[in-house]
Amino acid sequence: MALPQTVGVPAVRARASLWRRARTREAATALLFLLPLFVLVVALIFYPVYRAVWLSLTDKLVGYPERFVGLRNYAYLAQDDTFHAVIRNSLVFTVGSVGLKIVTGVLMALVLNNVIRGRNFFRGLFLLPWITSTVIIALTWRWMFDAFPGRGFFNSVLLDLGVMSRPKAFMASPEGAMMAVVVANWWRGFPFFGVSFLAGMASIPRELYEAAAVDGAAAWRRFWHVTLPGLKHVMIVTTLLSFILTINDFNIVYVMTRGGPGTATQIFATYSYQVAFGQLRWGRGVTISLFVVPILVLGIVLISRYLLRDRK
Amino acid sequence: MTIKTLTWLGLALFLLVILVPFWWIASMSFKTYEQIQFATSIYVPNPFTWENYTGLWTETRFPLWLRNSAVTGLVVTAITIVVSSLGGYAVARLRFPGRESVASLILILYLIPPALLFIPLYRVLAELGATNHLSSLFLSYPTFTVPFATWLLIGFFKALPDELEEAALIDGAGRITAFWRVLLPLAAPGLVASAIFAFTLSWNEFLYALVFIQDEQSITVPVGLNLLIYGDVFHWGQLMAASVITTIPVVALYVFIHRWMVEGLVAGGVKG
Amino acid sequence: MLDSPISRRSLLAGAVGASALLTLPRPAAPAVKKGTSLKLWILKTYVEPTNKAIEASAQRWAQKNGASVSVEYFTFEDMQTKYVAAIESNSTPDIGQLETSAPARFAGMGQLIDLTTFARQIEGQVGKAPANVSAVTMVGDKIYSLPWYVMGGFWYVWRDVFEKAKVKLPTTFEEAKQAAAALNRPKDNFYGMGQSWNRTSDGYGVMQSLMYSYGVGWAGKDGKYKSLKTPAMQTVMKWATDIYKDGIQPADTLTWTGSGNNENFIAKNIAQTSNGPSITFALENALAKATDAKDRKAKEEALANHVALPHPAGPDGRRMWAIAMSFGIFKNSKDPEAAMSLIAHLLSPEETVAVMKDSYGQFGPVLDKARAASKDYFNKNDNYRTFGRAAEWFAPTGWPGPTTAAAAEVQASNVLTDAPAKVIVDKWSVDQAIDWEDKKIKEIYDTLKG
Repeated sequence: MALPQTVGVPAVRARASLWRRARTREAATALLFLLPLFVLVVALIFYPVYRAVWLSLTDKLVGYPERFVGLRNYAYLAQDDTFHAVIRNSLVFTVGSVGLKIVTGVLMALVLNNVIRGRNFFRGLFLLPWITSTVIIALTWRWMFDAFPGRGFFNSVLLDLGVMSRPKAFMASPEGAMMAVVVANWWRGFPFFGVSFLAGMASIPRELYEAAAVDGAAAWRRFWHVTLPGLKHVMIVTTLLSFILTINDFNIVYVMTRGGPGTATQIFATYSYQVAFGQLRWGRGVTISLFVVPILVLGIVLISRYLLRDRK
Repeated sequence: MTIKTLTWLGLALFLLVILVPFWWIASMSFKTYEQIQFATSIYVPNPFTWENYTGLWTETRFPLWLRNSAVTGLVVTAITIVVSSLGGYAVARLRFPGRESVASLILILYLIPPALLFIPLYRVLAELGATNHLSSLFLSYPTFTVPFATWLLIGFFKALPDELEEAALIDGAGRITAFWRVLLPLAAPGLVASAIFAFTLSWNEFLYALVFIQDEQSITVPVGLNLLIYGDVFHWGQLMAASVITTIPVVALYVFIHRWMVEGLVAGGVKG
Repeated sequence: MLDSPISRRSLLAGAVGASALLTLPRPAAPAVKKGTSLKLWILKTYVEPTNKAIEASAQRWAQKNGASVSVEYFTFEDMQTKYVAAIESNSTPDIGQLETSAPARFAGMGQLIDLTTFARQIEGQVGKAPANVSAVTMVGDKIYSLPWYVMGGFWYVWRDVFEKAKVKLPTTFEEAKQAAAALNRPKDNFYGMGQSWNRTSDGYGVMQSLMYSYGVGWAGKDGKYKSLKTPAMQTVMKWATDIYKDGIQPADTLTWTGSGNNENFIAKNIAQTSNGPSITFALENALAKATDAKDRKAKEEALANHVALPHPAGPDGRRMWAIAMSFGIFKNSKDPEAAMSLIAHLLSPEETVAVMKDSYGQFGPVLDKARAASKDYFNKNDNYRTFGRAAEWFAPTGWPGPTTAAAAEVQASNVLTDAPAKVIVDKWSVDQAIDWEDKKIKEIYDTLKG
């Protein structure tokens, strides 16, 4: 579009209005392009969330019409000791696996960073757990920990090495079961941390390392004073993302333990499912899921601050 | 110990940690029920048998589940690519009021958990008559594939130089043509990465498929695997075989495009 | 001659009788419109031949009546979800096979058609079920489903192990526990018992058998909530938790899935366990798949040495919770008459026996005509004779009251097995666990409408 070669105020005004029109057209195109997304989001995300809130204020039981009961579901859960256990378990599960993922991610990034030949190959290979179906991962680790030596990897190996004389039921105790689900979640997720940190390391300016080397800093100190601070941003973002996704996990716990033994590994998503589809109490079931919203909101606010700060 | 030794040690350790579970499953998939039950020939199946694989094909509905998962994956991927490339382009390259808020919103949407949505979404889909068919998945899966893919594509589109588009515009092309002819082809790696992500997320999804669909004809693989546990008897070997078969397509796809995929992860999420 | 008063009376009687006969409802299938299509939901058991046999039976009806039947399966696992989904989206089948507590639950929601008249109609053809079983199908005195079979729970033991240790085969829960202690050899990885309080029927089913055999129920005969805080329940909870505390079971028993006890029993890791006939099925199957003479011999021995005893008794009697399967017709059915006809066909003695022949004994028929017809089938050996008696000992969810929706939810809420788990895992006292269980049950009864 060629601009008119004129001078003077009318020309400026003409240019300004042309510019405005172009902008409006751009905005209109944007609206058009964003329409499908908008429709999807409103119809299948916002509307169900609205319905969820409404449902949590009713006593909806499958097969019967619902009745408004106000905050009765919330009050019930607040004093339900099973729900207290669910909150505890969810936090232990999430903090435990995310913590492990951070540490392993750093180690993995360090190792890969030092591999020159075949780095891409290994990086790709290490991402395998992350792309595998979580249902399969859950089944796999259930068997890894199985008490039956024919199926349980750890029992087979430890028995064969003579470290144990009898098979041990790893998942039979509440601590053991929680450990097992944390391990499964960790195994699945740490490659993502590793790859993100590796990319983060690549963007740390070489000069900082060189400066440190010149100062006579040993490898360990270079790591502590250059690498880690450089990774701070990536770490925060990845951790927040993983925290939010992990605390809402369903597949791993459901397939590995169904929340047991007893209620030892029952977390928000699995308890919500049991109440809604086992006990047929939908009002209460959806209320359980809604309890995560404050944590969700907090996490989202934090992420927005960190991630989008960069986008400007 | 030198850094080099540590590195090699670390590499070996990671390889072990990552590959052993896969090998355990694969090895069990070649054992008979009795071998597993009575813990004979633990580390290397002997004799080696294909009966779990054949049994899976002939005695269960596994082929049907594979088909359902594949169809769902393809349809959802198509929907995702269309919606997210349009939306991603708009946010990345077009100027409009509220652009930054939309970008933030998209990330937030990805974080809204299926664990929260599954009950009300179920009712909404039931009211639409979509439950018990694959269409319930076509409608619900994009709620998590689209935000993720859009986020990814925003990064990709942003990385493309402005000049290309400007050149097209100066040449008299409209926005839409510029998008279609110029930007989209250049963003191909991003599109491929998004498509693979969407397919993988779809292929592996469990909760929605479990809750929305009970009709035997429409069961997907993850739900089917869960069903291979009938009450009293657990067909271990078949489950393992099914796990192996299910993982292969994803790994195969991934081998070819993993570089793009990692670039996508990095461009979209990490560097900002 | 019409003069004699007797002959006139008898003629009159004859006339009355004849006209009465003509007005009696015919005990055969209601009319079926040609081309009707019905949806039938069946429980998919692990014995695949049985599933096929039921389908075949349904198809025979379809052929005979020029109609069509599409059979869909649900498993123990997804039973709840599937029916819940169907009810909420109004896509229920015409006929659904319902497990023990389902008729009460679904009738309470108004989902099932009243089948009282129909039941009376076909009594002549198919017979009646004993009172303890038909209780499951009724709400008040209305009948909402027709019972077909029970999958009983039996007490499996290894006879050779008992004989070698000179321990008597147990008939009560107390004896079973004592036997377990006597047979326990943890050093050899062999344990006296394997009873898991898990979230399957192997868990909550056996817990109910235990409770009911000790005369303990959480509801009264009227179906209303009754407190569990009784001495008898103390004894029950003690038995349930002592078997863990005393170390007479494998360490991971509590985490077993539905198949855990089967596997451990078949692998001869435990001497006793409660289970349905699937263990016998597994052993018979293994024999059929035997690879060589040595393998064959081993499998034959296993088959001969395993015994399915009647489920243990308690001081109050021998009561066995079981999965009682019955057929109900959903109110959304477009052709209830055809549905009734199909049910009558499936429940008939001939069809029942035909299905049973492929059931490896897991199927204990409850209607008396079918039971009579199947006497020969169950006469195969001691185990099968025990299987055939399943209906005798059956006690439904909510005993001694009727199976109400509240009772069904108590079972579904897992509180029955979570309570002993709290003692075993979280180290609560027996009293605390019973208090907690009682509180939870009361709350269910308080908040459930009917």
